[in-house]
Amino acid sequence: MKKIKIRLFLAALVWSTMTFAQTAFDTANAAYADGRYAEAAEGYKALLAQTPDATVYYNLGNAQFKQGELAQAILNYERALRLRPNYPEAKYNLAFAQSRITDNIAEQDFFLSVWARAVRNSLQENTWFILSIGLFVLGLAGLLLFLLGRELWVRKTAFHVAWTALLFSLIAGLNGGSLHQRDTLRNEAVITQGVVNAKSSPDRSGTDLFTIHEGTKVTIRESLGEWCNIRVGNNEGWIRENNLERI
Amino acid sequence: MKRILFILCTLYIVPLSLWADEVVFKAQAPSQVIVGRPFQMTYTVNQRSRDLRAPEFTDFDVLSGPYTSTSSSTSFVNGRRTSSFEQTYTYMLMAKREGTFTIGPATIKVSGEQVQSNGVRITVLPEDQQTSSQGGSQSNQNTQSNQSSQSSASSENLFVRTIVSKTRVHEQEALLLTYKLYYAGVDVAQMTNNIKFPEYTGFLKQDIEQNEIQTELEHYNGRNYQTAVLHQTVLYPQHSGDITIDPAYFEFVLRVQTRQQVRSIFDDFFGTYTNVTKGVKAPGATIHVAALPGGKPAGFSGGVGKFSFTPSISQTEVQANEAVTIKIDISGAGNMKLLKTPAIDWPEGFEPYDPKVTNNFKTTTSGVSGTKSIEYLAIPRSAGEYTIPSIAFSYFDIDEKAYRTLRSPEYTIHVKRGAGSAAGSAVSGEEGNEGAVYYAQKEDIKQLGTDIRYIDTKQPKATGSSRSFVISYQYLWLWYVIPLLIAVVLLIVLRKQIREAADITRIRYKRANKVAQKRLKAASAALKANNKDLFYEEIERAAWTYLSDRLSIPTADLNKENITTILRRKGVSDELVKEVTDVLSTAEFARYAPATDHAMDDLFEATTRLINHLEDQKL
Repeated sequence: MKKIKIRLFLAALVWSTMTFAQTAFDTANAAYADGRYAEAAEGYKALLAQTPDATVYYNLGNAQFKQGELAQAILNYERALRLRPNYPEAKYNLAFAQSRITDNIAEQDFFLSVWARAVRNSLQENTWFILSIGLFVLGLAGLLLFLLGRELWVRKTAFHVAWTALLFSLIAGLNGGSLHQRDTLRNEAVITQGVVNAKSSPDRSGTDLFTIHEGTKVTIRESLGEWCNIRVGNNEGWIRENNLERI
Repeated sequence: MKRILFILCTLYIVPLSLWADEVVFKAQAPSQVIVGRPFQMTYTVNQRSRDLRAPEFTDFDVLSGPYTSTSSSTSFVNGRRTSSFEQTYTYMLMAKREGTFTIGPATIKVSGEQVQSNGVRITVLPEDQQTSSQGGSQSNQNTQSNQSSQSSASSENLFVRTIVSKTRVHEQEALLLTYKLYYAGVDVAQMTNNIKFPEYTGFLKQDIEQNEIQTELEHYNGRNYQTAVLHQTVLYPQHSGDITIDPAYFEFVLRVQTRQQVRSIFDDFFGTYTNVTKGVKAPGATIHVAALPGGKPAGFSGGVGKFSFTPSISQTEVQANEAVTIKIDISGAGNMKLLKTPAIDWPEGFEPYDPKVTNNFKTTTSGVSGTKSIEYLAIPRSAGEYTIPSIAFSYFDIDEKAYRTLRSPEYTIHVKRGAGSAAGSAVSGEEGNEGAVYYAQKEDIKQLGTDIRYIDTKQPKATGSSRSFVISYQYLWLWYVIPLLIAVVLLIVLRKQIREAADITRIRYKRANKVAQKRLKAASAALKANNKDLFYEEIERAAWTYLSDRLSIPTADLNKENITTILRRKGVSDELVKEVTDVLSTAEFARYAPATDHAMDDLFEATTRLINHLEDQKL
């Protein structure tokens, strides 16, 4: 009898923690539906402080967009996409928010590298690695079959399977590694200040090189004290770290 | 009886009086008079009357009167006789002090009935300062000096004032600009056409129609002037800031008495006047225009003034393809001409037409007022329930100095499926059959606006367990190395096995003939012993085992088809292949069939020959 009681209690405890998270999420959603965006954003932020989640980042981005905080919205859509690269709503809203920002950054890169980056960003780091390992194992199996097979057609097929699998394993592994590097370095950021002048050197007296606006995504190449060397399009310059927020 | 008498009386009176049956009894006096100057006050009645009872002229001195005079006239025009009769009572009055006074109505008896006149309002202006300072005794001299100034129409006794009703206004707020002529002591005969009005840059102007120029007395700067309003314009400033109105130019014809020596009595009698044209410049003015305050509502289109708004809808229950009309009446005063037509956001499925605007404006000294009627016509093309959003009309209230937004209610229109559903019924009518053919007009989905997508309301997966299989970057290399090691080990092990297997095959290959010969020997022994079963078994075994060993076919895969395929692949002639199959079939067949010794001998020979042949082939 006592055991049953304890079990019930435990079940209730688990259930209550689950419902707490759920109600917090639902409360924030209800606030959003009512148009109380500031309140909804606070709710999502509290949830994110516990566990980062793509959906919550996406909803937070929406709440911020509705409040006109374009830069924060873009930042949170980016974060949602980091956690779930294949998130069509987040992609759509990110593109929508980016169409509203002032700066028009034309991609200056070679189309192949743009394409390669898009491929890389389409999956998560973990997924790439699992894919890479799976293909590696397949490649090894093919190799064994090629070396040990008796029939000619089996060996031929095994050979082609082996080299293809090993090549793709390498590509997947490189993609995963690249993503890992991106996420550990955190060298992509969004400008949060309305208007920022990028300087030629990491101090206030530096010559103003160019102006960028809120919401623009930049790459951080180097950090020096409170200054960051950023790259945006074909421009490079120094801005202060508090003018941007890393994704 | 009394009635007849009345008729007779009337008949008698008719030629004397007039046909007019309405008694008009009017009091007339100048609206402005000057203190100490006599003026005439007249009472006119259009029928014979008696017993005038004038009111008490408390604020005026009655100098003389009343004088009575009558006049009558009869005229025939195209055979119709019209006659008029007028009896006038005249008082000479003089105002005692300045101010505005009302003289009450007088009464008079017309054919025994009391008739009341109207009251008169008189503004009494002070005397000219010049005159009062010189005193009454020198009035004669004063007239002299007045006359002398006649010839030189100076800017003091002939000028035009520019009067603006307001100098501080808001943008689009109406102001009245008046050009008023003042003259004293000169005789203005007429105004010439040589008038130059300023350009009014920065304003929208609206002239006020003036029928005729009327003169009035006005006390201005200590002098009494004859005044006349020359021109009035309502101006709407179009931008903020100080806007200057340039001076205007007027030209007048003055009658001036020539100061010539009087030659004869006739000259003096008729007077010697000449017409002199005199140009007068009216000064300019500066208007300080304040910009409209910020926080303009969304529907604001520049309307400034005071307006009211009456929306109405023709019907809310219609059939498809039947017109719906929404009418909006905007009435009030302000810059009506600049009011923009508020837009209606018709729902999709309505075919709107250009709104019809009817303006009924009147320009008065207080600005343009009137009504602007806007009729919006739209035709719903498909059935359903539609809501027409409320129409907003915003303007700047000039009295309250604030923006106001007037809204129409939201209209809900039920559109029923039309009886004659356009093309569909027409086609069915033509075809004349029951199955009506409906053609739907295909439309692309219209993009009305863009917005971000809505939030994701699906609860995110339970935390923690979501990433069940995470590869740690630190130990990533292990995931490659371990399979590689396994593969290498597998390779080594399998290689060895294969090599061993290959060895067995080789041994079997080498020993094949020996084994076959041994079996054949055993078979020959069985043949001699006439042991039929053993003979066939040994022969079959010899053939199969030989083929299995020679061709490296595992026992499991051993059958006739496999053997023929492999033999063919190894380039063995068809004859020999046929020999092989023949021997195998015969051995198999003969074993279960009653056979003769002769057949057993043949088979033995065939098998020995076959093995020899195959041996020769060096398979």
